[in-house]
Amino acid sequence: MKKEPIIIAFCCNWCSYAAADLAGISRLQYPGSIRIIRVMCSGMVHPDLVLQALNKGADGVIVVGCHLGECHYLKGNEMALARAEIIADTLEDLGIAAERFQLVWVSSSEPERLVAAFRAMSERLRAGRTPEIEAKEAGQ
Amino acid sequence: MSETRRPRLCCHWLHACSGCELALLNGGDLFLGLLQLVDIVHFPLLLDYKYASGAEGKPDLPAAEIGLVSGGVASKNQLEVLRTLRGQCRILVAFGTCASHGGIPALRNQWTAEQTWNTVFQEDERSCSGEFEYEKWLDRVYAIDEQVEVDLLLPGCPPRPETIVATVAALAAGHQPQLAEKSVCEHCPTVRTGTGRMSVRRFLANADYDPEAPVDSMRCLLEQGLLCMGPVTVGGCGGREMPLCIRARVPCRGCYGPVRRQGNQLLDLLNVLASKGIDHRAIVDRRSLLRFSGAHGLLKPNIREG
Repeated sequence: MKKEPIIIAFCCNWCSYAAADLAGISRLQYPGSIRIIRVMCSGMVHPDLVLQALNKGADGVIVVGCHLGECHYLKGNEMALARAEIIADTLEDLGIAAERFQLVWVSSSEPERLVAAFRAMSERLRAGRTPEIEAKEAGQ
Repeated sequence: MSETRRPRLCCHWLHACSGCELALLNGGDLFLGLLQLVDIVHFPLLLDYKYASGAEGKPDLPAAEIGLVSGGVASKNQLEVLRTLRGQCRILVAFGTCASHGGIPALRNQWTAEQTWNTVFQEDERSCSGEFEYEKWLDRVYAIDEQVEVDLLLPGCPPRPETIVATVAALAAGHQPQLAEKSVCEHCPTVRTGTGRMSVRRFLANADYDPEAPVDSMRCLLEQGLLCMGPVTVGGCGGREMPLCIRARVPCRGCYGPVRRQGNQLLDLLNVLASKGIDHRAIVDRRSLLRFSGAHGLLKPNIREG
């Protein structure tokens, strides 16, 4: 059996971290290999952090922020969106499959949405014959 | 009266172009002054003697207090020489951007060694020289601090003569050398307003400026839509004055490598553009932003082509 993919989740303090709390209270199940890191805003997650997580052994990184227009800091999640675009474009340049990164919007009252996103990403990465893994296996 | 012995200086090149060594010679009087401070025991550009094969064909290099190594590591031979140098030198300095971040030769990390071999060294070329033995290639070009412990990074393509001399002099005197730690923008005098074009022009496009007016009346090149790598490149290229490329009114190319040792010039520059709301998709050939810092596993073969 394949091991659970390790996913680093950067969760915004004001929405998705609260949603994760609510998911816990509501006893919603999601894979235990997801490591949540609370940040004050999804817009503060520098692309270097995402790359570092992936290079240090995380199978995936998910950045979770408030819905557009609902940012606690007004425009933080727009910054997150701009950064997500460059991350998605650049990961391929840097030899990492773009599927290993995802950006999701979740409000604090949507724990189901958060859990669904976590599960979907975990499923995708586990089934995930990412091109990178394929290349590595073909090389051996 | 016994004179205390001067520190010995060992200067060697690996996967390099000798530009860094020439920069040191360009120091002129400064270089002559340096000769009063150190004894040069090994310097292939200046001293001509046999060193490549000692006993059992091992590189035979003299011991020294200060070692300068220019160039990255791309072959097993270079790796062996580098390890010997590490053993022989008390302080090892990565001399130039190739040694500290991979430099131009590390551009080939965009392809596998096999692809490079087949593309660059075609059939009939191979028979010309025994120098290019594919079996001796490493899988990619490494910066020297990936292979051995390095005490100091002295980036630059090439570093400024006065910086090199000051660094060696400081090391000889037992001091910590003072190198620039801030970005090119910190040293740049151009006018920044905080707003600018929202797209990136091609590199070949000229900046708008008045040739008669001094550089400090020119608008920031990034704000003019030219892809200037100043924000993500460590300064020092202009010495105490303005950065060299800015002086020539062209954008910074990034030759001193990232500001932080672990920085990624490609990702960091795109992040700068993203935070300003500039469309990064206008950049032609994004990967070339790592043109001077492709070692440390930053440039990798494209996974889709594999």
